[in-house]
Amino acid sequence: NSPAPLPERAIYGFALFLGSWFGFILYLIWAYIPETWLFSLGLTYWPQKYWAVALPVYLLVAVGIGYVLLFGINMMSTAPLNSTHTITDNYAKKQQQKKFQEEAIPALRDIPISEVNRMFFLPEK
Amino acid sequence: VALRRRQHSACCRELSVRGPRVRLGALSAATSAAWLAAYAVFALSENSMVLSAAIFITLLGLIIYLHFVKIDQESLLVIGSLGIQVTSSYASGKESTTFIEMGQVKDVVINEAIHMQKVIYYLCILLQDPEDPQGVSEVVPLFQSSKPRLDCLIEVYKSCQEILEQRKTAPQSS
Repeated sequence: NSPAPLPERAIYGFALFLGSWFGFILYLIWAYIPETWLFSLGLTYWPQKYWAVALPVYLLVAVGIGYVLLFGINMMSTAPLNSTHTITDNYAKKQQQKKFQEEAIPALRDIPISEVNRMFFLPEK
Repeated sequence: VALRRRQHSACCRELSVRGPRVRLGALSAATSAAWLAAYAVFALSENSMVLSAAIFITLLGLIIYLHFVKIDQESLLVIGSLGIQVTSSYASGKESTTFIEMGQVKDVVINEAIHMQKVIYYLCILLQDPEDPQGVSEVVPLFQSSKPRLDCLIEVYKSCQEILEQRKTAPQSS
């Protein structure tokens, strides 16, 4: 799963490049050339030209609303002050206690909040 | 924000945090602004009901604010071996109390959490989970409206811990 260049990826890239240029030229033709010229060529089944302006506007407004929406979703998913998620979670509840060995660095674990508070706020006598 | 400690006995302490009082200047400024806006609407629309509606709404809003929103003082009464009582007194004189018995209290800690784009310290009571002796079933945040800062919280925390330690040394008799 490395991001290194591969022959298949080069082919996909080139196909996408050609496809996007073709799509862009088609969009310009549809938006700018008058309908009568296109009808005279025999191509009659096009969407209304209204959409040549409406779709980009819709897209930009959606991006702007997306900023506000993401901010709101972030605020909604922060845990409220009275939930236990501010103190612990599933991984911390199920952690195993390793036995204390002399002369060794203690194993990494989630220290319970009572212990942390005692260390910070109660000065050792 | 002022903290007041009263020690009633060796195992009973009351800690109260008093918030800022309702200021007369702010109150009159808000009322005058509301009535000036109502008078401007009346001058535009020539409808005298706007003025009476504005007076009524201002009075109602003031009563609701004083009775349901503005908390004057929050106090914590810790009685060792009995429980913890949390009282909030509103500006209109209303008091609302909650009592948590000592068997349910696991610990009183200072927790940090994200609240409205800030990280705040707040004092909270951890309630014991009946099934799991190490687990916490519920978190009860204290001093929600006066929101004292860390130095005040540390004082309250030390006082509470002195009383909570006594229940470990004293044998349980229930």
